[in-house]
Amino acid sequence: MSLLEIQGLEAGYGAQAVLRDLSLEIVEGSFAALVGPNGHGKSTALRTVSGLVRARAGLIRLAGERIDRLRPDQIVAAGIVHVPQGDMLFPEMTVLENLRLGAYLPQAATHAANRLEEVFALLPKLAERKHQVASTLSGGERRMVGIGRGLMAGGRILMLDEPSLGLAPIVIDQIYDIVQRLAASGRTILVVEENAMRIAEMADRMHLMDNGRIAWSGPGSEFLSRPEILSAYLGG
Amino acid sequence: MTARRRDILLSLGFAALLALVPLVFSTRYIISQITVFFIWGLVVTQWNLVLGVAGIFSLAQMALFAIGAYGTAMLAYYVGLPLLAAMPVAALVTVAASLLIGFACLRLKGAYVALLTLAIAQVIYLIVVNDTACFTNPPSGCLPLFGGVRGFSRFGDLGFRELLGSKFYIGHYYVGLALLLAAQVFCIVLIRGPLGLAFRALRDNPGYAMSRGVGKLRYQLWVFGLSAFFTGLAGAFYAANFGVVGPIVFSVSMLLFLLAMIVVGGMGTVWGPLLGAALLMAADEGLREVGTFREIGLGLVLAVFVILLPRGIAGLARKTEAGGPASRAGTGRKQVADSSDAI
Amino acid sequence: MEIFVQVLASGLTLGAMYAVSTIGLALVYGALNMLNMAQGALLAFGGYVCFYVMQQLGLPAPVGVLAAMVVGAALGLTIYLMVARPMLASPAFETQIFIATIGIGSVLQSVILQLFGPQPKAQPMTLPGGVSLGGVVVPWQNILILAVAAAMLAGVAWLLGRTRAGLAIRATAQSREAAQLMGIRIGRVYAQVLALSGALAALSGIMVSSLSGLLPTMGADPMLKAFVICVVAGLGNVPGAAIAALLLGILEAVIQYIFGVQYAFAILLALVIGVLIWRPYGLFGKRQVVRL
Repeated sequence: MSLLEIQGLEAGYGAQAVLRDLSLEIVEGSFAALVGPNGHGKSTALRTVSGLVRARAGLIRLAGERIDRLRPDQIVAAGIVHVPQGDMLFPEMTVLENLRLGAYLPQAATHAANRLEEVFALLPKLAERKHQVASTLSGGERRMVGIGRGLMAGGRILMLDEPSLGLAPIVIDQIYDIVQRLAASGRTILVVEENAMRIAEMADRMHLMDNGRIAWSGPGSEFLSRPEILSAYLGG
Repeated sequence: MTARRRDILLSLGFAALLALVPLVFSTRYIISQITVFFIWGLVVTQWNLVLGVAGIFSLAQMALFAIGAYGTAMLAYYVGLPLLAAMPVAALVTVAASLLIGFACLRLKGAYVALLTLAIAQVIYLIVVNDTACFTNPPSGCLPLFGGVRGFSRFGDLGFRELLGSKFYIGHYYVGLALLLAAQVFCIVLIRGPLGLAFRALRDNPGYAMSRGVGKLRYQLWVFGLSAFFTGLAGAFYAANFGVVGPIVFSVSMLLFLLAMIVVGGMGTVWGPLLGAALLMAADEGLREVGTFREIGLGLVLAVFVILLPRGIAGLARKTEAGGPASRAGTGRKQVADSSDAI
Repeated sequence: MEIFVQVLASGLTLGAMYAVSTIGLALVYGALNMLNMAQGALLAFGGYVCFYVMQQLGLPAPVGVLAAMVVGAALGLTIYLMVARPMLASPAFETQIFIATIGIGSVLQSVILQLFGPQPKAQPMTLPGGVSLGGVVVPWQNILILAVAAAMLAGVAWLLGRTRAGLAIRATAQSREAAQLMGIRIGRVYAQVLALSGALAALSGIMVSSLSGLLPTMGADPMLKAFVICVVAGLGNVPGAAIAALLLGILEAVIQYIFGVQYAFAILLALVIGVLIWRPYGLFGKRQVVRL
């Protein structure tokens, strides 16, 4: 069954509409990718789901419950974990403090000790750097803190906004290796990615975004075998 | 007709109407009150340029006004210059002071600018009030260099008493009207001209504007300096009109009153500040009976307008205008139209 | 030696009073990007509430201080709910809140004027006598101010560093959006910060008035100084603000001693402008979002 369900979503900034009638379903336990060119609303879609941007129309359901009217903190409590673009770490806090803030809500705080061990097992580099201030980390390390902080929250769905952005190719490989391991562990994941071909090799399902709505959805394998899909929307 | 042309014609039309007023009402009270409106109008049109157009959060405007007023009084009192000569010199001194303040503050971010300019104004005030050493000893008693708490008086007038006798205030009226007309036309030319365009570009898309060589600091200094000329002139005319200059020009309630005019009328608009000045002065007049609650009323007006109607009354008019058939364009276009209207 | 002790004692007292109201301002700016221009009126309000409770109601000093802080917190909260919250989403928030709080400050100050009149009053919250240190008598009042300020700063440091609410405040100041994504209810953080800053302002107002008396306009000068201190430290930098407050308090005492009281603020300000030309983001400020 679908864990996250978006129907006819409209949102934007000021007078400008970014999402126009966006509809999308994410199946529980699947690894979904939202792809498309820059400026077509991929990030806005995630930001609207997590409540940072208000929806003007449409509805968002998580496990059947509507969440589109809730405050961001309530949406987090409902189980949406959003790792934002550009990490948005707390720059003057240590790695450990950043991770602890991921488990800020009471329901996450009770599992914080266990989850911290899991995060350090998955991202051993963070254990080495745990007392370092976030603003002094390298780009790849920052990304790992961002993901680790998201994992601390637990949650039901992990939304990652361009986890490869601004990283060197070898670091991108490491990050996607981590994402794939998370997906393999049965977690529901929604990744926003610019590089459609790369993510299609990993994702169960691809959603191609064009001008604020979904233009094409299908399995990653089909996306790879039919290059005309890509050129129709992105080659343009 | 371009907006610039329309606004200049409107200014001339209003000025012509106002020029007729003394011929119809010759009550001294009305004429003097309108003259005061001209003075505050001068200050708020310039402050609006600085605050609403150039985006400089300056709270030093009343200090600049004071420099113009004190400069005029001191040049006349100590040097013996006739007021007509002292006024432009004082205005130029104000420009020099504004450039100094500008160099010190304008490299900083908005909030820092507000705080520093406020602090500078306060320091100027403290220097004026705390200096108690006698500089001269006129018959009226010890006078510190900057006039101290008492300020300056008896430093001459514009010569209208000799010319018009007891009707001298009508002379002041026309001088004020001419100054305000010049200042308003200056504002229109600036807002609707290339400099206004540059600021719109800076506000709407700072990165792009910078890359096209629109240097913010340089433009801000220009606006700050040029508007200081008229602000200083307003102070100079204040000195000439009242014949007294004292530390009251620094008072917080004066600052509040003028800021409220801009906010109520509409910050960043061509006509808002003058509209606000007229409205608040009329309201102040009406509330004279309940004088003790004036400050409370002013403070509430300021807060309520910022909360509920941040673009002021002129902003309200603009909204209806923009909704009209004239500005029906594509969504991309609409934004451009909106932002050009906003100024 | 005697002069040194005297200047140091008065400088530390000044610095301690400044620090208490400055950290309130810095907290609010850090969390909301809000310059609260009503702070001066909150200071005065605190002083007068303490006066009213002790003089008019005849209650003991701790009750007066507590009542003043509660009223200060309530006023801070009201400013958040009625003034700041409606305009939080506005792109021109920083300018708007500045102007709106100037208006609120004027209202509060006029209310004090209506309630207590324009005549100066003595703050009953004072300790008589003094203690001899190195040949100089330091008034107990100054020592009390120092002790209360130190306790208050320690309390705020504990709150920010060791409690869950403090963690949320620091997170919100460092990244508003990330804080929301962690499940922090930032509206509540804003309310807490404004209430805290209101309580600190009231306390600072009691301290200031215990030395120089009560006047409806008494808050304007300390507020301006607190802002100048914030600017020197880098807006929103809380530990920096506390350090800068102490430094500037001592500096002011030195300048007062050398040049006389009437020029102290002018010289202080000239120094501040110098600092800002040298370091536009404040002494301890970094270029980017460096706050708490």
